[in-house]
Amino acid sequence: MASSLLSSLDKPDQQAVPRKDSRSETEPLVHISNFRMDFGRTTVIRDLSFDINRGETFGFLGSNGSGKTTTIRALLGIYQPTAGLLHINGKPFSPEDGATLGYLPEERGLYKKESVIDVMTYFGRLKGLSRSNAHSWSLQYLERVALADKAKVRLDKLSGGQQQKVQLGVTIMNDPELLILDEPTKGFDPVNRKLLMDIIEDQKRAGATVLMVTHQMEEVERLCDRIVLLKNGEAEAYGTVEDVQDQYGGTVVRVRYSGEIPDSPHYTVTRRESSYAELTVTGPIDEAVILRELMDAGVTVREFTAGRPSLDDIFVAVYGDQNTGDQNPGDQNAGATAGERNGTAGE
Amino acid sequence: MARHNLGTVVSFEVTRTLKKKQFWLTTLLVPVVIGIVIALIVLSNTSTESKVDSQKDATLRFTYSDASGYIDPAIATAFGGTLAADPDQAIADVKSGASAAYFSYPAEPTKEATTVYGADVGIFDNGKYSSVATQLMVASAQAKIGDQTLTGLARGSFQVDAITYKDGAVSGGILGAVAPLLFLLIFYVVIVMLGNQMLTSTLEEKENRVTEMILTTLNPTTLIMGKIISLFIIGIVQMLVFILPVLVGYLFFRTSLSLPDVDLSQLIVNPGQMVVGALLLIGGFTLFMGTLVAAGAIMPTAKEASQVFGIVMALVFVPLYAVSLVVSDPHALIVQLFTFFPYSAPVTAMLRNGLGSLSPLESGIVIAELFLLGGIVLRLAVQLFRYGSVEYTKRVSLRTVFARSRR
Repeated sequence: MASSLLSSLDKPDQQAVPRKDSRSETEPLVHISNFRMDFGRTTVIRDLSFDINRGETFGFLGSNGSGKTTTIRALLGIYQPTAGLLHINGKPFSPEDGATLGYLPEERGLYKKESVIDVMTYFGRLKGLSRSNAHSWSLQYLERVALADKAKVRLDKLSGGQQQKVQLGVTIMNDPELLILDEPTKGFDPVNRKLLMDIIEDQKRAGATVLMVTHQMEEVERLCDRIVLLKNGEAEAYGTVEDVQDQYGGTVVRVRYSGEIPDSPHYTVTRRESSYAELTVTGPIDEAVILRELMDAGVTVREFTAGRPSLDDIFVAVYGDQNTGDQNPGDQNAGATAGERNGTAGE
Repeated sequence: MARHNLGTVVSFEVTRTLKKKQFWLTTLLVPVVIGIVIALIVLSNTSTESKVDSQKDATLRFTYSDASGYIDPAIATAFGGTLAADPDQAIADVKSGASAAYFSYPAEPTKEATTVYGADVGIFDNGKYSSVATQLMVASAQAKIGDQTLTGLARGSFQVDAITYKDGAVSGGILGAVAPLLFLLIFYVVIVMLGNQMLTSTLEEKENRVTEMILTTLNPTTLIMGKIISLFIIGIVQMLVFILPVLVGYLFFRTSLSLPDVDLSQLIVNPGQMVVGALLLIGGFTLFMGTLVAAGAIMPTAKEASQVFGIVMALVFVPLYAVSLVVSDPHALIVQLFTFFPYSAPVTAMLRNGLGSLSPLESGIVIAELFLLGGIVLRLAVQLFRYGSVEYTKRVSLRTVFARSRR
């Protein structure tokens, strides 16, 4: 109920900043075209173009080091692009537009020597809330995420997961028009991951546009309207989740079985476990033909379903040939969790 | 919005610093030490004076020998003294406790030391022997001169007022140097007390990985200006805390501390010198603070940044090695070099301004240089913070930052 928390609070300081620009309601909120980013002689992004429409949840996918964080930093003016346009609301982002943005960076961190409530109030003030509104909103948020008793505790006394909850609160406290989440679930246990997803869905229902970087494909399938897959500095795939699934190989047959799955020109075995397999159908073959082939080969089929490939399958298919541990110069801190970097205890 | 955020940054930075126990522990340490020193001095002086005073009534019983012939026996008797027949026996009596003290006045008291022997009665109380011996000689000498004024003149107790002229006008002399040299004192206090905090304050954003949150919420210029302003406010608080015991000591224990009674109305304040001093202070502060912020933005940790702080401190103190030349020959090559080299210019120019040897042309050049370079360095510091501080774990190269900011 983060948004309802927000809407219940009067925010006079923000009234001058409309949540949406009515003049450009039909234009995409985020527009990136022909973006190129070089670090010295290393080209991280070659030529990237995509739009994010108002109110949609957009998944920005790619392997480690593919340039996702670099793109976000360039979009937010932290890096200057080598070439191309990166616009939010029709113009390059500047910190003066910060009241309309909620950004949860991959590199998590807040002022660790200060109390939770002081830090949240400070960022609320910077984002245009009055002191009292920032303070009361923070207390309500902490109540929701079960940290009410930690309000006056120093941040470095909290676990990594608790710190992440506080940072998420700071990210959404200004009821942002655009919410950028760089690997939001990193470091969260399943319970808190669900809480986080609920909060994101609240924001989405309240009309926020969400740009999400994640490696959790089930989250993408659950939340995202459209996605872009970044590979070799370019958009490998771009569109709705269904479009991308269609683009990558049509039908996938999922089989629970016993026996030995035979080779066939009609499919490729893309996943094989002891009693489970996924077969990517090649060519316009009816699934019934494949079932017949399996049974003819003596395979005992206990379950047989056909559908689109999962994003997990697509991710493996797209990036399987890459060493995903590589990092580009802009993502030089990627990989370590906040808790690992800061030496804080896990939850 | 920018002004609102500047106020928010200043408020946050000042409040959180003033709320820290460590800040007050380190800040209060100085006045506590000053207070202890003042208390010890007052205690010691009070003890000695009270002993001398009480000597007049209770009198210290002592023996003495006088090879000089200046000691008046009647006065010595009134002080409680008895002429010793045998110096060796007198010393032996002191050793055995039979006598409290023995004073041995030499033949030529101005060339030789007078020796006092006494029973040890503690560090503070032992001072009474020297005091009584001195008072006895002074009283005897006054009695021999027979004129109170003459005695005062012989002791140098008279005032000399010097009036000197420069370019046909009365020059201030040392009284004219005091006021403009206060800017130099403020500069040193500010740099020494706040420099390290300035260096590490921007590092905090980097070390806490909060840079990206800040850069998307706040203009980096606003953040850095806010930090500088808040540090200045904190510096004022520290200075007030430091000055308080000094003021208390001066106002209430001036005599016990043997402090001179400064007549502020005697100070000569030259408005031109004061304006130049203030501009040199602000320009120098801008240059040094900008440099420290820039260093903080480049270095990944406080430990590495502290090396830069050492260099900056050296630059602040280096001109003091040439202070005798600054006073005696302000046109010497090394003084000219220190006057115009940006990082030694504030101290050298403020010193010369106080002493009246900085010409208007030189003042103009140095002030312009400090403001221009200070502005450039501050701008550079903002750029370094903006494009460099997101490099959390490595030292940033200037080339990289400029390459990013030029695009």
